[in-house]
Amino acid sequence: MTNAGWRAVELAAQLLDHDESEAVLGDLVESGESWWRDLLDISGLIVRRQAELWKSWRPWLASFGLALPASFLLMGFSLGVTRSFRHTGEAGLPLLAVRILLLGTWSWTGGYVVAAMSKRTLWLSVVSCCLPCLFCLARFRVPSLPSPCLLLFVPPAIWGVWQGSKLSGIKTRTAISLAAAVTLLTLLSMGQGLPAVYWVLLWPAWYLAATAETSTI
Amino acid sequence: MLGEFEYLLISAASGLGDQAYSGAIQREIASTTGRRCSIGALYTTIDRLEGKGLVKTYMGPATAQRGGRAKRMVRVTPKGVQAAKSFYDAVTGISRGARWAVKDAGGAS
Repeated sequence: MTNAGWRAVELAAQLLDHDESEAVLGDLVESGESWWRDLLDISGLIVRRQAELWKSWRPWLASFGLALPASFLLMGFSLGVTRSFRHTGEAGLPLLAVRILLLGTWSWTGGYVVAAMSKRTLWLSVVSCCLPCLFCLARFRVPSLPSPCLLLFVPPAIWGVWQGSKLSGIKTRTAISLAAAVTLLTLLSMGQGLPAVYWVLLWPAWYLAATAETSTI
Repeated sequence: MLGEFEYLLISAASGLGDQAYSGAIQREIASTTGRRCSIGALYTTIDRLEGKGLVKTYMGPATAQRGGRAKRMVRVTPKGVQAAKSFYDAVTGISRGARWAVKDAGGAS
């Protein structure tokens, strides 16, 4: 078995749970088969594991119900916040602060829920978020604004993903307070002409509140 | 009722006793049936049987022979024993009149 071949097998094994990866790699070492045979074997297991995951509604909702549409909306909102930042006077500072807070909380809760809902299919949720970003960055044509302003939502979203995949859950009181605060901020922004479609971004916060007690990562 | 592969897996695990782990079960099935079972089929079937409460698994000791990696040990539960016995009884019962099961049937034809 070549080193490079075995490395490929070990790399593939990282897509499995830690314990399962240990047991499978041990079994393959014992079997003494060629590396390509091992790679074929482990790939078969990975495909079966992924197929099992997709029988649930969770990865579908996380990837195509949240990551994909939310990335479009959050890019639009990031652009709006940047514009407000450029053009707002002192009188508009409170509203700008509300919008920055809103961007942060929408992004964080979205990232948290994507990771908490289906950690093992997170790779596809990340792809579902990145593709719209690349698409919009490639088509960005606003001379007065830099294109990275579309991605203002990314740092809080990454923070949310990281916390959603590490924490074992969120306390009910914290989750409800967070959802109420985000709803209040959204209401304040709606009063200032924010399109109604942005209500959609509230559901991750309320999903967190609804599942707080039973939330397992 | 168990499936054929589920029965093979439980029987192999039962025969291996305390030495039953995924790799040993795979070898046992291959040497008995002459068919190599894939890691994917083996692990997903073990999971399914564990989900039904027919086997119990736990991580065993690591050995140098395995590159210092732990084994996934498999123990058949009393419910698993009962399910395997039901399958065995059904197969032996249904096979009673079959040509290949009757020794004095005049040979294979």
